[in-house]
Amino acid sequence: MSYTLRGRIESRLAALLPVVAAACVLALAEHRWWPVEAAGLMVGVGLALDLQVYDRLIRYQPGWAALPLGLLELAVVLGLMRAAAVAAPLGQAVGLFGGGWLFAQALGHAGFPLLRLGYAEEGGELGRLGSASAVVLGVLLATAGGTAYALLPPVVHLAAGVHQGPLVITHREVLVGEPGAVVRGGIVVRASGVTVKNVSVVGGENGITVDGVHGTVLDGVSVSGAKLDGIHVRLAGIVIKNCSIDMLGNELGQGIDISYNMGMGMSMIEGCTIMGGMEGITTHSSMSDIVDNHVSRTTLNGISVTEMSMGMVMDNEVRDALGVGIYCNDRSMCMVERNTVVDTHPDVGSGNPSRRGFGVLASFQSEADLWENQLAANPVASGAVTNSEVLKDRSFSYR
Amino acid sequence: MQVAVVGSGLAGFTAYQTLRRKLEPEQIAVYGTDDDPAAMFRRRAAAIRQREMRSESDGHCRPTSFPGLAFRSAVARRSPAPLLGSFCDRYHPTVGEFLAHVERLRAHSGWDRSVRRRRIERIRAVEGGFELDGEGVFRHVLVAPGHPGLNVPEELHGDPRAVHAYEPHEYASTVTVVGAGLAAATEWLNALDAGAEVVSVRRREPERRPLNVPREYFSRRGLAAFHRLGPEERRARLRTLLAASYPPGRAFDEPLAAAEADGRFRVEAAPNGAAQVICATGFRRGFWHDPLLADLVAEHGLGTESEWVLLAPDATVPGLTDETRTLALAGVAAQWSFPAADTLAGAKYVAHAFLRRVEACPTR
Repeated sequence: MSYTLRGRIESRLAALLPVVAAACVLALAEHRWWPVEAAGLMVGVGLALDLQVYDRLIRYQPGWAALPLGLLELAVVLGLMRAAAVAAPLGQAVGLFGGGWLFAQALGHAGFPLLRLGYAEEGGELGRLGSASAVVLGVLLATAGGTAYALLPPVVHLAAGVHQGPLVITHREVLVGEPGAVVRGGIVVRASGVTVKNVSVVGGENGITVDGVHGTVLDGVSVSGAKLDGIHVRLAGIVIKNCSIDMLGNELGQGIDISYNMGMGMSMIEGCTIMGGMEGITTHSSMSDIVDNHVSRTTLNGISVTEMSMGMVMDNEVRDALGVGIYCNDRSMCMVERNTVVDTHPDVGSGNPSRRGFGVLASFQSEADLWENQLAANPVASGAVTNSEVLKDRSFSYR
Repeated sequence: MQVAVVGSGLAGFTAYQTLRRKLEPEQIAVYGTDDDPAAMFRRRAAAIRQREMRSESDGHCRPTSFPGLAFRSAVARRSPAPLLGSFCDRYHPTVGEFLAHVERLRAHSGWDRSVRRRRIERIRAVEGGFELDGEGVFRHVLVAPGHPGLNVPEELHGDPRAVHAYEPHEYASTVTVVGAGLAAATEWLNALDAGAEVVSVRRREPERRPLNVPREYFSRRGLAAFHRLGPEERRARLRTLLAASYPPGRAFDEPLAAAEADGRFRVEAAPNGAAQVICATGFRRGFWHDPLLADLVAEHGLGTESEWVLLAPDATVPGLTDETRTLALAGVAAQWSFPAADTLAGAKYVAHAFLRRVEACPTR
């Protein structure tokens, strides 16, 4: 077929119309936006290539050329989805594209020629059908975009200054602290889909409590002076990043405690700095990745993964811990990679031999896979007790 | 009855199939000298022993390109090979498949109910339409007169050795083939297969292209620019586009190279003393060779440029066509609008435009 530019665009838009409609239905069914985002990218990439590349370079397009051109478009769409952080399952995204491609082929070779007598000789132009398709497609995408925008959680700005807490969040929202915004008395998250950004918390039973909700993001928060835990998470899926927690002087609390969220998906703790407390970061019966954190001066364990927890402990730095730097305990499975654990002190006063200053310790039927960790100035670099294993010879990384 | 097709060959037949989407056989009159729309093609294809069509899957007479002949062949053979070949532009229906397709369409479309065996020699524009040589007035007329006879070079007129490629013939032991298009290339191979020594006489080296004209000239992509050309430029472009050509590929190259190596095939500038001269020189060119067109031009003062009648992009005759009536040319006579007008694709192009005119006419 020798497409005209208009023919290319009209044929593409008409062929993508059912794909975009299907993506909207899928988005409604799954309560996720990636199908619409992916379909929107398919439209955008296709139109851009039509305008800038295909029309200039391809005077005649044989049937077989649809295959390499389709693969090119798939690669560009997937690349843009990755760049734009569109969280789509790869298989489903490829399936959506592949289904759309096949449908477009069927339309181009059979459907459009049957619908429009002069389809081939008019270079793929569809006349009123093409214009109508473009309008409907635009309306669909605009509606989807508008709906997505309307469903965005409201952004609440917390002004600079001290706000008396506890601050209880009961609706989905994005709470953004202006520079200098401080909540005294803690924050309690009681709604799903809450994001807290750039807020300082002083005092409170726990600095921030997240209980029984999902989709919580704590980004750039700082906590100090909490009576119990700095960030206390129960039965909740959460992402904590770029936080700062000061637990110095607190002998009972944990910097971050994530417990009992095994059924809530993978939680993430990344880029946090924690000083003091019994444990810097601890997970119980949880699936969590603990990445790129700085933990120091803890009085029980620097980082502990315990009570049948699973997860990666990677790229963290643990300093000046008392007793144990990284602790994998109670039938847990821990991938411990590229961490730096230094200056762990023996807990002489405890009289417990398993607290004699381990850089990494696996305990009670647990398994810790160690790879490329820097374990220096610790009385014992690593060890395993009570039917546990420390494996050091893995030939691969989980990274 | 408001619609008439003058000419019962393949171009007229293809137009009829398109018209049948909206009209009943009783609403269409077809005037021609033969009931069988493929009669002329069949004779010519048999004469040059053509086995495969130059056209591809969409080289058929149905109004829509789908289902094409590759699809039908795949269904009939229960094999995806024709479809895969079509995706790679390598599928060419056999002449037998094409003729069977024409037969099927003829039987199912009511063609025989519409055909009147009558040669139309005069068309006159009258109030409300066109008067067809005493057959009445029709509001919409499509004229598909076909090629105006075989072209034999003047110097070979009366030469007892000469035969046109499209006339039945066998092969002598030494054969000169004049021409360089697909018919000539086919005849080179035919004569070599028959054991002859072959000399090719040609005025210029043939183009090697899959179809009669470059592919973009089958769609608006190439046609839009073509239609914007002025008369002189368009005439020059047509001359270039319609120069002799045959498809590239081993099917021609290998046997010719082998014969050349054996000294059985060579190119020369003029017919030599061969026992037989085959004129693969196509058809006479120019509207004046066709009495109907010549009369139409003379009577109505139609515009012409060299051998072509000037037509609108949709192959209608300007000045004789308006919202209430249509006169369109099809087949080779429509090259001014569609360079490959003498192909099935060209016939469909004209037919589609003609049907649009008929549909748009408020009093059809």
